[in-house]
Amino acid sequence: MMRWRYLKQSAFFALVRASALIITLTLGGIILYILMHGYSVISWEFITKPPTDSMTQGGIMPAILGTIYLTLGAIAIGLPLGVASAIYLTEYAIQGRMIRLIRVGINCLAGVPSVVFGLFGLAFFVIIFKFGSSILAGSLTLGFLILPTIIGASEEALKSVPQTFREASLALGVSKWQTTYRIVLPNALPGILTGSILGIGRAAGETAPIMFTAAAFFTSKLPSSIFDEVMALPYHIYVLATAGTNIEATRPIQYGTVLVLVAVVLGINLVAILIRGYMRRNKRW
Amino acid sequence: MDSNIIIKLNNVNFYYGNNRALTDISMTFRKNKVTALIGPSGCGKSTLLRLLNRMNDLIDGTRVEGEILFEEKNIYDPEIDPVEIRKKVGMVFQKPNPFPKTIYNNIAYGPKLASNNTGDINTLVEQSLKQAVLWDEVKDILNQSAMKLSGGQQQRLCIARALAMKPDILLMDEPTSALDPISTAKIEELIEELKKNYTIIIVTHNMQQAARISDETAFFYLGNLVEYNKTEKIFTNPDVKHTEDYITGRFG
Repeated sequence: MMRWRYLKQSAFFALVRASALIITLTLGGIILYILMHGYSVISWEFITKPPTDSMTQGGIMPAILGTIYLTLGAIAIGLPLGVASAIYLTEYAIQGRMIRLIRVGINCLAGVPSVVFGLFGLAFFVIIFKFGSSILAGSLTLGFLILPTIIGASEEALKSVPQTFREASLALGVSKWQTTYRIVLPNALPGILTGSILGIGRAAGETAPIMFTAAAFFTSKLPSSIFDEVMALPYHIYVLATAGTNIEATRPIQYGTVLVLVAVVLGINLVAILIRGYMRRNKRW
Repeated sequence: MDSNIIIKLNNVNFYYGNNRALTDISMTFRKNKVTALIGPSGCGKSTLLRLLNRMNDLIDGTRVEGEILFEEKNIYDPEIDPVEIRKKVGMVFQKPNPFPKTIYNNIAYGPKLASNNTGDINTLVEQSLKQAVLWDEVKDILNQSAMKLSGGQQQRLCIARALAMKPDILLMDEPTSALDPISTAKIEELIEELKKNYTIIIVTHNMQQAARISDETAFFYLGNLVEYNKTEKIFTNPDVKHTEDYITGRFG
């Protein structure tokens, strides 16, 4: 009897270990594969020069810059809106059917395919608001795309701030807004950033939402305002792999671009992680 | 209102949803006295305490009937801002709950945000910590996190934090139940000292504590005020049998 139970336990542990291993190996495999194929084209020139000769030569600098602009724009729109929504939902709203409905709506938003966001952005920002295909329209679309992630993470972070902090502040005759702003929000910030990191990664890597709203097939000039369209890494990869003039000739550049995209996403995550780590060090309870 | 009376409750009922937690409470609290609220768990004493600074407002679905007069005004009047009430009626909680800030900023936080504060914050911090008999222990570490203090020190810090708002009344919700006997004794001494300048209303489960530190004692049971009198009278010769049974430990 004991033996059987012990066997069952070992089998289960083995299964769980194997799952973790498969995930790690897959991730490692992808990164290794990209590195092996993309490594050779990476050079200073590749990341600082625009494409030339119908994109079969030259670098990808405009696309790198475009992705950075779009990601920062998405954060600038998604973070304040998402945090403000989460503050309303957790701190102010009276919990009831209406709030449950809003939460269901947010979850649905998270499940909407990204191409639908792209079409929405095209119809709403590009055409109705007349922003044209631009950094602004793309950032807004991406900002809305990552909103559910940021709201979810922010709500969890706000809820994890001990209720006793709120009570202590309110009991001093400090207003609800001041309590939220001075006590609750600073203590929730590391958690909010953790969630935002996920959103940031997604914003940088998405292709469909920016395809109709921001990304240019090719432009060698850099954007001079938020109303200009830009090249972007994910879309550039898509273009090179499917619609280029000479797909075979651009193969190494494709791998190189993928490598740069992965590096940019990891880089942005790393910065966010460092900021979070710094804030956590100041977390004192 | 008699000038010795600081708070007066007239026929107060309180509900959590449909559950009545307090039934027809009428009582007065006297200025510069320590009043102890005693009774078994769930009798409504903490609820009553939190009515006095409108902390029950924070709970959805609660309702108050009757009036609670403070400075001649009903604090539940729709025109009254609960924030203003809480500035005058401070509170110390069961578990020490300093903010994750420095000792200095814990004290300075309230006065800095209160618009009517004009005095020097440094002086106020020192004064408040001295009043809470904590100054000598922390004067050299004011910039250290309050979370590093011991439980007893944290609770005195919370008292100092409340005092920095210069309230008229200090509400204490079992302030020593999470502390060791030595810290408890320090807080009790402090309460003795504070009643010269403040009115103190304290909820306690500790009968000896109520007997030691309070001037008046109110005994609650199932949301009713059973007996309210001078502490000496309550503990030596209560009028109601029920009170006697509780304080002698025959039930509770």
